[in-house]
Formats: sequence, C-alpha cells, structure tokens
Amino acid sequence: MKITQREVGSAAILDLNGKLTGGPDADTFRDVFKSLLDQDKKNIVVNLEKVSWINSTGLGILINNYNTVRKAGGDMVVMHASERIESILYVTKLNLLFKSFDSEDDAVRSFSQATR
Amino acid sequence: MGKRNNVEHMILNIPSDLKYLGAVDAAIQDLAREFSFSPDAVNDVSTALVEACSNAIEHGNHFAKDKRVVVTLRFNGNTFVATVKDEGGGFDYEKALRDESGPDPMSERGRGILIMRAFTDALAFRNENGGLIVELTKLRDDGDGGGGRDK
Repeated sequence: MKITQREVGSAAILDLNGKLTGGPDADTFRDVFKSLLDQDKKNIVVNLEKVSWINSTGLGILINNYNTVRKAGGDMVVMHASERIESILYVTKLNLLFKSFDSEDDAVRSFSQATR
Repeated sequence: MGKRNNVEHMILNIPSDLKYLGAVDAAIQDLAREFSFSPDAVNDVSTALVEACSNAIEHGNHFAKDKRVVVTLRFNGNTFVATVKDEGGGFDYEKALRDESGPDPMSERGRGILIMRAFTDALAFRNENGGLIVELTKLRDDGDGGGGRDK
C-alpha cells in the first residue's frame, strides 16, 4: 500500500494505491495519521480510487485512524470508493460512520460545512 | 486445474502471506467470468473469498511461514463453491455465527463473517484435522444483481 499526501484547502488528502489488507499497512497508516495530527492537520480525506480491495482488517485500520482523528477534534471522510468497496462499507454499516464522496470538491467542502 | 462435464475446479496452495491474496483474487475473477457470472456476482465471490483467505492467513495460521492455506475453487454450471482451509487450531464458529448483530460500529474487528455472509448465498464452517475449513457458495445470478447490496 502506497500513500501519497497533498493538501487542498483545509484538507489533507491521502491518495492510497494498492490493497488495504492489514499487515504492515496498519503501521504505515498510523504513522501518516500521527504525522498529520502532529502538524494540526485534522481534516483528512482518504482517497480510495486506487484501492483495488479491502478486507475486514483493512476496515479496522480505517476505523482505528478515524477514531484517532475524531479524538483529536478532527474528521475523516473517504472519496472515490469503487462499487466493490462501497458494497463492503454498506454491508458492514460503515457507510453510516464514514462519509463517502464521489467528488474531491464535495469531500473537501464537507469539513467547512460541518463547522457551521 | 481441471475440467470435467462442465465442472471447472482449481486448487491453490498459498503461503500464509497476505501478498498472495492478489493471486487468489485474480484466479476467482477469471473463473467466474468464464462461467458467465455477472460483474456484480464476480465482485461478490472475490470479496468473500479474499476475506476468507485473509482470515485463514491472519487468524488461522497467524502468518506462520510453515503453514499454508489451501483454496479450492469449483464451478459447476450455475454454482460456485470455494473452500478455504487453514492449518490453525480451529475456531469457535458457532459462537461467531450466533452473533447476528455484527460488531459495534466503532470496533476495529469482527466483520469478517459479516462480509463473507453478505456476499455469498451460503456460508459454512467445519473444524477438521486441527484446521478450519470455510465453505462459500455463490449462485450465478444471470445479471440480475449482486448479493451484498441487497441483503
């Protein structure tokens, strides 16, 4: 799993590339999130466009980091999830936890709307 | 791999390493398409199978280098049946299956069975020779729609 970072407006965007299945991904994710929170970047968008698939452990990684961000007073959303991943989020009811967006603009805008 | 009387079967014997999930995914996707499963059904079977293999590697074999996961894929006309066998110490699947409510949304664990159940038409477990065998069944849907979203 490769993760690249960029910023758009008030949001930090994490572009993921690969499969989110656990193992060393957990440490990589945790380190990236910790680094962002250390820089006070608490609005995080996880771009799933290039994530080919995710298993239950991968979901756990997302939840773990979501919990961390929320405890720090921030928020995490996902975007560009494939139909396959959207199905997984739906059956596990994680679509009720993670807001999911089809457009980057909407994902980034969601943080400013949430603070109104 | 073999074919007899329109039954296709394949056996994969993989190390306990998550990097081999890609090979399993590719194999099941190719076979499911060859047997005219719809794109939704192909995604469903591969999602469930990848989940089962992940569990076998992580929870069954604990990533042990000396333990393998044996995956059998069998297509028979309209039915796909896969079994995933690990070399772990077995699993109290009856307890897990009794819990139909699923995990707390904020919990990081406990969604494996939920995912396998949602994307298959039948799910069965048995402990055998010190390992767990998971059996996944998916019927070909003739393009009428996939499983997970409608359940």
